[in-house]
Amino acid sequence: MKKDIFRLTIPSKPDYISVVRLTSSCIASKLGLSIDEIEDIKVSLSEACINALTRTDEINIKYEISEDRLAITVDNVVLSENDERESNLGILIMKSLMDEVNFTEKGVEMIKYLKDGNR
Amino acid sequence: MALNIMIKFDEINNHWSVEPEGEIDIYTSPELKEKLSKALDDKMADIVIDGEKLDYIDSTGLGTLIGILKIIKENKNKIYIRNIKPNIRKLFDITELDKVFVIEE
Repeated sequence: MKKDIFRLTIPSKPDYISVVRLTSSCIASKLGLSIDEIEDIKVSLSEACINALTRTDEINIKYEISEDRLAITVDNVVLSENDERESNLGILIMKSLMDEVNFTEKGVEMIKYLKDGNR
Repeated sequence: MALNIMIKFDEINNHWSVEPEGEIDIYTSPELKEKLSKALDDKMADIVIDGEKLDYIDSTGLGTLIGILKIIKENKNKIYIRNIKPNIRKLFDITELDKVFVIEE
């Protein structure tokens, strides 16, 4: 099955995370997701970027669209080693709003399933 | 998109009235923190946030509010949050911060 892929790389600066939100809104609305789902994706992806911000010069984001899902990966996102409250809040938000959140060696993969008739 | 913050002291009800407009995110949170801290230095009181024009908040924004609450709690003051949009309310519920702040419909 062929996947459609978008890649976005942004400088690790707080003011550019809003660009990621706008881009994500465009892609998610193109897929016919609801306003609530688009909002979930925007918030979760921003949290992933905030997490990656201090660990890298560039934040790499990949949107992978297949028949039944939108999978977004962000490199350099890690589960916090310490008890930093804000970082934990971010991960809690991601896990609550996305259908699936998987941490890998490279970063994080977040999935939103596309319901039938969405596209 | 950015953030505009209106902060004024409500003499009648004796609280800081805060109207954020736009997005409280990792970029704009430091400004909110600075303005609220300055207000509290001026006068320690309850803070009432009207969220009618607030479109977005992230974990750094929530963290900023937690930080401010820690300061005013010492004086038994509270943070009230009113008129927030459902997408923002959802974040307060998920993080259980709806039990930490006083959220009014």
